[in-house]
Amino acid sequence: MNFSKFFQEAEKQGLEQAQISYYLNKETRIKLFEGEIDSFDVMENFTIRASGIYQGKYGSTVADKPKDDIFPELVANIKRNASLSEEKSEVGIFPGSPKYVNKNVFCKDLAEESLSEKIANLKVLNQCIVGFDERIKKAYGPTYTESETTYRFANSFGLNLKRKYNFAYYTAGAIAEENGETKTFSDFVSYTGKGSVDFKAFGEEVAKKAVSKFTPLGLKSGKYPTVINKDIMGDFISYFLSSTIADEVQRHSSFLEGKLNERVVSRKLTIKELPLEKGPCFVNFDDEGVATKNKTIIDKGVLKTYLYNRSTALKDRVESTGNGSSEGGKIKTAVFFTRVKKGKKGFAEMIAPIQEGVYITEIAGLGTGMNAKSGNFSCQAEGYLIKDGRLDKPLNLITLSGNLLSMLKDVKDLDNASCDPLSSVDCPNVYIKKMSIGGE
Amino acid sequence: MSQIISKKLAIDVMNAALSTGADYAEIYAESSRPSSISIDNGKVDSISTPISEGAGIRLLKGVKSAYGYTSDLSRKNLLALAGKVAKSFEGERLFEVKEIKKERVKAISPIETHLNDVSAEEKIAYLKKAHEAASSVDPRIVRVTASFISKYKTTQTFVAENEIGHQYDNVEERGRVGIVCIAKEGEKIESAFTGPARYAGWEWFTQTLNVEEEAKETAKKALMLLDAKECPSGRFTVVVKNGWGGVLFHEACGHSLEATATAKGLSVFSKSIGKQIASPVVSAYDDGTLPNEWGSNNIDSEGHKTQKNQLIKDGICVGFLVDKLGGRRLGMEPNGCSRREDYSYAPTSRMSNTYIAPGKDDPEDIIKDTKLGIYVANFGGGSVEPTTGEFNFSASEAYIIRDGKICEPVKGCTLIGTGAEVLMNIDRVGNDLAFGEGNCGSLSGSIPVDVGQPTVRIKEITVGGRGGKLE
Repeated sequence: MNFSKFFQEAEKQGLEQAQISYYLNKETRIKLFEGEIDSFDVMENFTIRASGIYQGKYGSTVADKPKDDIFPELVANIKRNASLSEEKSEVGIFPGSPKYVNKNVFCKDLAEESLSEKIANLKVLNQCIVGFDERIKKAYGPTYTESETTYRFANSFGLNLKRKYNFAYYTAGAIAEENGETKTFSDFVSYTGKGSVDFKAFGEEVAKKAVSKFTPLGLKSGKYPTVINKDIMGDFISYFLSSTIADEVQRHSSFLEGKLNERVVSRKLTIKELPLEKGPCFVNFDDEGVATKNKTIIDKGVLKTYLYNRSTALKDRVESTGNGSSEGGKIKTAVFFTRVKKGKKGFAEMIAPIQEGVYITEIAGLGTGMNAKSGNFSCQAEGYLIKDGRLDKPLNLITLSGNLLSMLKDVKDLDNASCDPLSSVDCPNVYIKKMSIGGE
Repeated sequence: MSQIISKKLAIDVMNAALSTGADYAEIYAESSRPSSISIDNGKVDSISTPISEGAGIRLLKGVKSAYGYTSDLSRKNLLALAGKVAKSFEGERLFEVKEIKKERVKAISPIETHLNDVSAEEKIAYLKKAHEAASSVDPRIVRVTASFISKYKTTQTFVAENEIGHQYDNVEERGRVGIVCIAKEGEKIESAFTGPARYAGWEWFTQTLNVEEEAKETAKKALMLLDAKECPSGRFTVVVKNGWGGVLFHEACGHSLEATATAKGLSVFSKSIGKQIASPVVSAYDDGTLPNEWGSNNIDSEGHKTQKNQLIKDGICVGFLVDKLGGRRLGMEPNGCSRREDYSYAPTSRMSNTYIAPGKDDPEDIIKDTKLGIYVANFGGGSVEPTTGEFNFSASEAYIIRDGKICEPVKGCTLIGTGAEVLMNIDRVGNDLAFGEGNCGSLSGSIPVDVGQPTVRIKEITVGGRGGKLE
């Protein structure tokens, strides 16, 4: 696309300032069923976002047509949407940051490896799952997904930015049957090229976890010391961080309003946002063109900052934290890659003091079971009983209920585990003093 | 309706795609102009008017599939995409498409005033009324957001299984109001949401729906939650209110009856046709033909007319929801339920308007006859693992039932179980069928669906909460 033509059109139609960006994403997905290729998908996503200032007001639009002839309609949309806005834009379009950190995060090995090798990996994975145990009836959806994205950004101040990244991952599930019971488990692993994944180990782990669920124990409803698996804890941390978004705070919709520099969660918790860490989640500028920076959000339980775009930063008379995100006709605020500081113990050492507790390994329904405003949640869960400091029988169809803030205040310990590099939150397994578990 | 891609181009693209031996080719072309307006505490917050065009090419060879999509509808690019998709198969061409017949598509939902013909100013004024109504309920309502989304799209579906292909042109038009109220008192914050929606014109939103009343009720629900106790946990009798309570059937059973799951043996109900899977008081349907309902459509994503499909009759499983590919595995004919969010998804079997049929009980009697339990008046939504049938759904409005009366409200309530268990445990079905609207996410994206049911009682189900024992 020729961005200069967009700026010419913007000027012609009377926009005072303008900005345009596009994402070009190419994705390939191959799925096996019963050892054979079941589906093969090639996808091409193109998204243009354009915005501008017209008569002092902000307007924006989005399109998926990758042709320059769409520019007149884009600009007309920006003008019309700006006209309907009831407030003048106080921040306008951002001229640019003094400096941007650049890192090459494009994985060349991945791009150059042949598709047939990636399909061969799928077949190994499939075989390792079905061959693990006679109780494994099927491997479902061993799937390979590879994604490559180019992001370009420009504005009428002459700012031109670009980012290119790629990633790939395998997902696999196992269905196990025994005595009329059916159990499933699925997981994913990121892939960066030949030799980066031990497919035998990954497949066997998926199968092992499915068969480990048989003969679950009935658990009485009550409050138990609870250890939450790192991936699930990552989801909880994401919900918590949505309450650090300044827009929510300024509109009285966050339970963290008025809590800056106060201890809001356990002093065991330190949470950093690391958009500049080299890896698949690297982001060096936000959707306003502001350079991102690494920052501490929670330091030993103390809330150190809210997350800002330029508009919410102006209201609080601070600088943008580089978290602007273009969504649905407005600049909102996004949280980028985040890491929860690990503890020093291994998992076994962390759970050793627990006489009777619960280890939650899977949850379902958190999307609807979480009230992000109040932090109250209740969801379906499964896992294992912890007895005398060790993992014991599996637990199935139980519920996990609590309040997000109370739960994070009650963090007793964290182990030293890490999440997959493609996870948006890297978090260890976390031990909570007590949580409500619903069962019999 | 304006043409998105020409017949000639469709023939050329299908023939390029069929070069490696596929036995079925399909092109789904889409042009959409949705719009969304949102106001936050009475002021315009965001306006979005995306411009979208694109097409997906799908090939089938036996029970194998290949799919590709693009937003570049130029001849050169579509032919290149057809070539890429064709590469997933190896073999000789089976047939060449020589002609495409345009088939008639009948509109089942009358529309007087098209949503895209209503000015943004009029929609903003409408949303401001909702805001004023909700804000006036109580000073503890600290924030009200109100939005209106209209989805307008034209589609062209070309399918070919032999030399004569078929073309189906369709127009879809849907609107949805969204109101979120946030109540705050001291450190306590609660929120409530409502989202009435229809496949209808502006007349439904202004003449049938009372948006101010809807907004007030939402504000009252948020306020009610400020003082609600935590829900108890354990195994209880649960009465589920009519309407949106139908998400129970949608999650507990509906997904497990989609061919996506049953055809590959990945559903707990894969081999259940002719078998009892529910209590004899339960009959259930999926009906995409209901005029003006949110989940309805004129045709499905493969060009078939939508249908009323009975899934359960007096507790016996009598049907699945079957798309083209799933039908091939099952040896069954497609029944008009192949759906997708947009061109970026290959279609698959999905629900439309799914409901438990009305029974004979008076809903008041069902409550009266319940000594101790939970009354769930509304749900936030839920999810299911079709292979095990394990489901969950969270209640957004619930109360304790004591001695046949609805008593104090409770919050943080989740119901969990397996589809097989909960369907057998339904012992009372009311005569007050009603529907509720939502979006269902699955393999082919997020699609509009209605869920429906009369008031029903479940003898026993696991309830999660942190309020201790039910007393």
